[in-house]
Amino acid sequence: MIAGYLFIGPAFLTLVIFLVLPILAAFWLVFMDYDLLSPPKAAGLRNIQDLLSDTRLLDIYKNTAIFVVAATVLNNVIAILLALGVNRAFHPVFKYILRTAYFFPVLTTTASLALIWKFLLTQDRGVVNFLLQQINLPAVPWLSSSQWAMVSVVMFDVWRACGYLMVIYLAGLQTIPDVYYEAAAIDGATRLQSMRFITLPLLTPTTFFAVVISIIGAAQVFDNAWVLTGGGPNDASRLIMLYIYEIGFSRFAMGYAAAVSMTLFALLLLVTFLQFYLSRRWVHYE
Amino acid sequence: MSDPVTPVPATPTAPPTPSSRRFRLRHTPGHYLAELVIVVFLLIMAIIEFGPISWIFATSLRAPADSFNLPPDFWPTAFHWENYLAVIQSDQINFLGFFWNSLKIASIVTIAQLITTSMAGFAFGRLRFPGRDFLFFFFLASLMVPATVTLIPNYILIVKLFGLKDSHFSLILPALTSAFGVFLMRQQFKGVPNDLMDAAKMDGAGYFRIYWQIMLPHAAPTLTALAIFTFLASWNNYLAPLLFLRSWDQFTFPLAIVLLNGYMGSGNRAHVLAAVMISLTPALIIFLVGQRFIIRGVAITGMKG
Repeated sequence: MIAGYLFIGPAFLTLVIFLVLPILAAFWLVFMDYDLLSPPKAAGLRNIQDLLSDTRLLDIYKNTAIFVVAATVLNNVIAILLALGVNRAFHPVFKYILRTAYFFPVLTTTASLALIWKFLLTQDRGVVNFLLQQINLPAVPWLSSSQWAMVSVVMFDVWRACGYLMVIYLAGLQTIPDVYYEAAAIDGATRLQSMRFITLPLLTPTTFFAVVISIIGAAQVFDNAWVLTGGGPNDASRLIMLYIYEIGFSRFAMGYAAAVSMTLFALLLLVTFLQFYLSRRWVHYE
Repeated sequence: MSDPVTPVPATPTAPPTPSSRRFRLRHTPGHYLAELVIVVFLLIMAIIEFGPISWIFATSLRAPADSFNLPPDFWPTAFHWENYLAVIQSDQINFLGFFWNSLKIASIVTIAQLITTSMAGFAFGRLRFPGRDFLFFFFLASLMVPATVTLIPNYILIVKLFGLKDSHFSLILPALTSAFGVFLMRQQFKGVPNDLMDAAKMDGAGYFRIYWQIMLPHAAPTLTALAIFTFLASWNNYLAPLLFLRSWDQFTFPLAIVLLNGYMGSGNRAHVLAAVMISLTPALIIFLVGQRFIIRGVAITGMKG
């Protein structure tokens, strides 16, 4: 009987020290003033009041919302299209090459890749603008203008992450039993019809799962924007994680940083609950 | 248009594989056009996804003086392999040191996670002890907490309480286990046939021998997938090293590469790209050797996000 505790011991201890304690400490920190140097002082509700008067916070949440919605929609739509495309009767070598091309950016370091895209998107001698000019389109200030910075961060995220979701959708497609397609073929369904009435409805559990993890992931994106634009110009592409980093590690306002991260936690909980609630209307379980 | 009923007698001759079923659906007139559009879309996406990677490779082989020149290459036109040597042997930065730091941390974290998660997964999946289900629920619940919440308190804990600033332990200790891995391994071990465990018990094997000699070999494919993702997650981690590491000789690869860009100056893009290329090698090797495991891994570890 004691064996059970011994087996879970290492995992359990690590989890308690680096997850449970920090979560408890986070709630405590919300009511503290702490700059890492002098000992923490009780701050009452000041950090929470600061949330309400922080004008940047609202703009940064607006940015984050735009990023989350755009990245989630684009990532999932492209991933579904890619999965539907790859999941066909292609030659295995062609399939292998396609999967490799789509999936490779997922495996590599986001920070390094963001650095590469920073080179590619430079306004004057950047590769992307060069290619645009080859087809007579104007050069775009991808990273330096406040209109385009967020577009660049979203584009990069879709480029980097859609292959990951593609593999999840591929796995989902393979769970759809062949008998449905056979029945549809017997009834004389066209490919579009069997797509519309079999594939998409039976893929909804996968879609739901993929959208939930996309939103949770996108809301906490850091590396992308940090390396690509640094959140700039001004706050144009600053996402909430960059702001928490700034509050915590350049202003050293640990209490307020904890308070802001709690708002993100609360929002994520709310959005996820809402998704589960709404899922009853559109997710078909067999 | 074929008679919708005719395919039925033909079914026994064509095995119901995913690839054969496509051809039994009716082909509408626009079928070949649609097929063409799909292939073109797939190819364009493949070019967009892979283009930047081949640009890195092609440009990393240009002479440093040419590395800013347009038009860009997406296929190597020059072969200045000495760029790679220059980065590796640079006396300004300890490049191999970064590589070693990342390799060391990722290896330790991977081995530790394989051990801790499979042990806990075994206990939760195959052993009986009081409080087991409650403790397992506790592991599951911890999966729901986003990393954002623990970011600040973890920093204070590690730097202030443990005094681990600028130490690799600050990256290793919090990553010794993962609730997700525990969940994954529990599901895996629950699927191992009871007979195997009973037979081992009859032979007088203790729990540790059952875990080590029966359970682990059974879980090898899942362990491989978990290892690949744990290793790459650690190798690619950027935020934690950015928070905890301060001195150049402690830096991990991603951190060093981003700083390298500023440090090496703007005239040396070919060198920075050579460094990036080297940083991609573990992923490249793992991908070429184990694509099967990776695809399987994403399918089963999809939750990892």
